[in-house]
Amino acid sequence: MTKERHCPLVDLHVSSPNAMRLNRLMRMSRRDTLMTGMAGMGVLATGTAVSAEPATGADPELERFMKVSERLTDRPSLDPRIGQALYERILQSGPERKAQLGRLADLLAGGTYEDASAFAKAAEQSDPAFKDVIHDLMSGWYRGVANGKVVVYRSALMFDITKDAIYPKTYAAGGPFYWTTQPPEVDRPTGAPALSPSKFDVEPT
Amino acid sequence: MSSEQNLSADVVIVGSGVAGSSIANELARAGISVIVLEAGPRVDRQHFVDNFRNLENKPSYQGPFPSTPWAEHPPNQITPNKYLHTSGPNAEAYQQVYLRMMGGTTWHWAGCAWRYLPSDFELKTRYGQGRDWALKYDDLEPFYYQAEVMMGVCGPDPKVEDLGSPRRQPYPMEALPISYAAQQFRKLISEKTPYRVVHEPQARNTKPYDGRPTCEGHNNCMPICPIGAMYNGGYSVYHAEAAGAKFVPNAVVYKIERDSANKKVTAVHYYDPDKGSHRVTGKYFVIAAHCIETAKLLLVSADEKSPNGIANSSGHVGRNMMDHTGVQVTFISGDKALWPGRGPLETNVIDNFRDGDWRGDRGAYLVHMVDDNQVDFATQLAISKGYVGKALEEQIRYLASHTVRLFSHNEALPDPDNRLTLSTTHKDALGIPHPDVYYKLPEYTVRSCEHTRGLFKNLIGLMHGTDEQWTPGYFPQDHPSGSTIMGVDPKDSVVDGHCRTHDHENLFIASSSVFSTVGTGNITLTVAALALRVADTLKKELLHA
Repeated sequence: MTKERHCPLVDLHVSSPNAMRLNRLMRMSRRDTLMTGMAGMGVLATGTAVSAEPATGADPELERFMKVSERLTDRPSLDPRIGQALYERILQSGPERKAQLGRLADLLAGGTYEDASAFAKAAEQSDPAFKDVIHDLMSGWYRGVANGKVVVYRSALMFDITKDAIYPKTYAAGGPFYWTTQPPEVDRPTGAPALSPSKFDVEPT
Repeated sequence: MSSEQNLSADVVIVGSGVAGSSIANELARAGISVIVLEAGPRVDRQHFVDNFRNLENKPSYQGPFPSTPWAEHPPNQITPNKYLHTSGPNAEAYQQVYLRMMGGTTWHWAGCAWRYLPSDFELKTRYGQGRDWALKYDDLEPFYYQAEVMMGVCGPDPKVEDLGSPRRQPYPMEALPISYAAQQFRKLISEKTPYRVVHEPQARNTKPYDGRPTCEGHNNCMPICPIGAMYNGGYSVYHAEAAGAKFVPNAVVYKIERDSANKKVTAVHYYDPDKGSHRVTGKYFVIAAHCIETAKLLLVSADEKSPNGIANSSGHVGRNMMDHTGVQVTFISGDKALWPGRGPLETNVIDNFRDGDWRGDRGAYLVHMVDDNQVDFATQLAISKGYVGKALEEQIRYLASHTVRLFSHNEALPDPDNRLTLSTTHKDALGIPHPDVYYKLPEYTVRSCEHTRGLFKNLIGLMHGTDEQWTPGYFPQDHPSGSTIMGVDPKDSVVDGHCRTHDHENLFIASSSVFSTVGTGNITLTVAALALRVADTLKKELLHA
């Protein structure tokens, strides 16, 4: 008989259809248990150290990264947990990134910029290499992707700013046939690009 | 315990996709013993969903489905490719993708369940082009309906919207309500052109059906429906197993054994992932391994008795490779917001060019307005244009709500020179050669594509479109067909009208590889109907023998 074999890239199983359904149910109930357990822990730990936010104060460079991110997104605050994950991934995209991010933060700290566009323009003028660094930041926060990896999917800002109209793929929650209704109108934008354009290659299917 | 003692059945099927699993289900329910040998692994849906969510390149339909070393499949549509090696003047146009997995390639189809038109089966007689099939539409009509019931197909009432393929029964489910974007597109086409937009028949639930839920519009039919509202071959696998069929994953068939007269197949041999060899005997054999892998297997099995490959006395195994070649454009509409991507991926079609007297000169085609969530595309585009901050957010909203993508399926013709052969330079981990395909687009198809480009330019104008991005050249629509072509003459075809090989009386082929022409509609429903007809033939022969 054929030896059962585990694929190196994907989990395999050879269950019957009923066993597969049962597996799913068991997975769900296990997750529910875990969530209940975590909630319980939270109750027990109320008033002590349990917090959704990591201790960002531990890394001043990360705090500077968050400040640059807030300026470039025109947002007063961003999720520090996502920021930490993006920062770590962006650093891995090249040995020069850490120093570049530091200099970008210096530029921000040393001037006054009325919005993201003004800061981005000034950055590219001071060093053309900042364009790629800013691209990394924009892709990270808006697409949830850094250094070729998905850091967050549903929480990417591109879905936050479109949530009145559309769901991220695989996360629809409007119920059957929600799509027949009229979505919101969108005015033609008036803003201008801040950076010089880059080549855009559509990735192959 | 030797494998020979265990692995024997009335019918042995190679391949567990829609064709193989639906035959297995029909036969097992009739009390016939069945073994299905699947080259690839068995994986459940949630794993593919998780892979998708973690995929950086979300439009990659193959991305969530990594292949195994023993059952490689093409990683993407890029030329050159690590598995499917294409050459010739239009090599890029034949860079097909498909899956070698339990359940087959319908893990990532869009559920488009078209019947062919009666004329699609008689292209030679009616228009003097290509070939006629060795069967007529009426021969297949009952099996089309059986396939629609099996998959759960929703579609329009023919009295309201006649799609040109006569029906004896209504669709099993009512047509899917189309999205706001598709409604606007339909209105524009109706008011500003002589054409029409129809509801696409889809293997997608508009009510709970076959233990699966109603579609919730996750907009991810390709690469993976997260809730199983869309049919895929995996569901026929489950049903067949429940009825008693045996499925063996990771079983890579590499040899087809025949009797001394070379008239009947006696066994198939497969490798497990460690290259241990196993022999499986049976009374009947069905190769249902996808157009490319089916031809490859017949060629790989060549031996002294059949030096050109199994079932290949005609020399046509691997020839006549066809596809629906695509023309594609993405642009930004200057009209009101559409927000494509709310609801299923492909729901509406311009069907005016599926048939006409001009088919004597150029190929038919159909057009999809793809209802694809464009938020990620819009974000990448806006970042590349240099926007940041609030200006970037305004751009994303505008582009995501105004991006329109159109693509077509353009008809090919069978040309023996468009040919699949075994690679002489590349082999997989088991030592089995990779497939090579030479491809030159028929002029018939090129003329069809030119016509489509003209139509698309008109539509872009009607929608006050800007920022046109045309997919360069021609691209494959992943509907390969023709590699074991059907015909009445054994000298120039591989199978007869019942998909039985001319050379071996107990060997059948269930795949788009038997198509004599390729029409315009997506091929899966016709594959399923042909497969169910094979099951019907096998039941008659086995139960009344």
